[in-house]
Amino acid sequence: MLCSVISNEPLADRFFHLTLQPEAPTGAITPGQFVMVQCSTGGDPLLRRPMSVADSEPNGARFSLVIQVVGKGTRLLSRLEPGDTVDALGPFGKGFAMPDQAGPVWLVAGGTGVAPFMGLVRANGATREITLLQGARTRNLLLFRDYFKKYGATVISATQDGSEGFKGLVTQLLEHQLAAGAPPCAIMTCGPGPMMKLVANMATDKGIRCFASLENRMACGFGACLGCVTRSADGQRYVTVCRKGPVFDVAEVEIADG
Amino acid sequence: MADVNLANMVAGIRLKNPVLTASGTFGYGTVYQQFYDISALGGFVTKGLSLKPRPGAPTPRICETPSGMLNAIGLQNIGLEKFLERKLPKLREIDTAVIVNFFGETVEEYADMAGRLDKVEGIHGLEMNISCPNVEKGGAAFGTDLCLTREVTSACRQATSKPLIVKLSPNVTSIAEFAVACQENGADAISVINTITGMAIDIHKRKPVLANITGGLSGPAIKPVALRMVWQCYEAVDIPIFGIGGISSAEDVVEFMMAGASAVQTGTMNFVDPSIGRKLAENLGDTLLRLGVNDYKQIIGAAHNQ
Repeated sequence: MLCSVISNEPLADRFFHLTLQPEAPTGAITPGQFVMVQCSTGGDPLLRRPMSVADSEPNGARFSLVIQVVGKGTRLLSRLEPGDTVDALGPFGKGFAMPDQAGPVWLVAGGTGVAPFMGLVRANGATREITLLQGARTRNLLLFRDYFKKYGATVISATQDGSEGFKGLVTQLLEHQLAAGAPPCAIMTCGPGPMMKLVANMATDKGIRCFASLENRMACGFGACLGCVTRSADGQRYVTVCRKGPVFDVAEVEIADG
Repeated sequence: MADVNLANMVAGIRLKNPVLTASGTFGYGTVYQQFYDISALGGFVTKGLSLKPRPGAPTPRICETPSGMLNAIGLQNIGLEKFLERKLPKLREIDTAVIVNFFGETVEEYADMAGRLDKVEGIHGLEMNISCPNVEKGGAAFGTDLCLTREVTSACRQATSKPLIVKLSPNVTSIAEFAVACQENGADAISVINTITGMAIDIHKRKPVLANITGGLSGPAIKPVALRMVWQCYEAVDIPIFGIGGISSAEDVVEFMMAGASAVQTGTMNFVDPSIGRKLAENLGDTLLRLGVNDYKQIIGAAHNQ
């Protein structure tokens, strides 16, 4: 679907917040779903890039993406200006769902991993006790803190350089929080593979249900190429991250290092 | 507007137009129904099927390259039984040619698959993937060995009376020789080409990107090689050719036809633009009209000296 660029706001460092208006509303987008974005119409780069939807209007009339410039494709996207158009497919995949039982939910995010939690907190922050453990290299990379607080989440930061909050990795912060008090009824995590693996292990050790948004290389994003698979936890088969995920119960799948 | 005739009978398969989609890029047909009614296509080719389901290769399985991509999916498929039970019934309701791609690990397995597919209604043609390793002969691909190619084509020919297409591997010195081998052993058509072996290296991890080390290169990058091979095959055999390799526009389709293809398959571009198959089928007529052509059969092989 062709989308108009509404805004493309530079955040700190190489991060951007891109807001798009599709030619027709997509319908409700579940937090954790993603779109396949075409970065160039000239075939370079050729393949689309999968990006989690950050925030969206309830009927999908607008949605936003959080982009970090890491290569050619993302650099092109970072240069989009209001009025430009960009083609996106989707939304695809299975997103995050609040657990049935009432009880606190913790979100653990690093880098652009906060993106899907924006929609999740906006939809649930008023009715659930949500704590976001957010990690970044330094304080100005703790993205959207005000947004999360506005929609009702408690935000606890971890910075590697100690410029804000807990000094260390977000996984170390999580360890600290788990030791400190009552466990949540579920943990949801999104960010680099190694980070999510550690979070999953910690949650599993404590018997806490954990959901992760996997980020495997994708060619198509909709289940045709079979490139994005991850191994099932029992090792018996491969499951497509784009269709059966990207959000999985960590008990069911292997998380790749990425 | 004058009508352009796009219909044809190719290798005994009735095609409403010469645009098909390639094996490995179109699942078992229905995954693209969310984007368009696939009866717009002349036909499609299923993911390669083996008798038993196969899980496929470890990841990473894919890697983008300039104007293309590498894949080492590892022939993951649901197996023949599940295909016949769960996928084919839905396909019978769609008005487009269904071509089943299949493979085996030995000549006997190939022939066995062909025999099992032979009497199945709703399957209009069979495409043999011979680019897989022969486990009896140390893992070298069938499609890079002339004797094995003859043997497996002949064995499948004897096992089925359905239209039999052999999909050739480009990873050979002389593709024309392989085309001739297929024609001489009863193939009704050939698909030219499968993917070209390539690789990529992650300079930070200092190792190959793909878990399999090498993979098959596809996409616009391979179009010149695919065209050259269609050209060479057209000069060597009379059986029709399905042209495959980096097709992304109606002009590309015409190039392949002028090189000698009677029909084409678009593959990688389905990932980039899922509606590409429909668009090629819709735009081909206009492109031919602008060239003064009102029946696409007129341009098959047109670039060769008459």
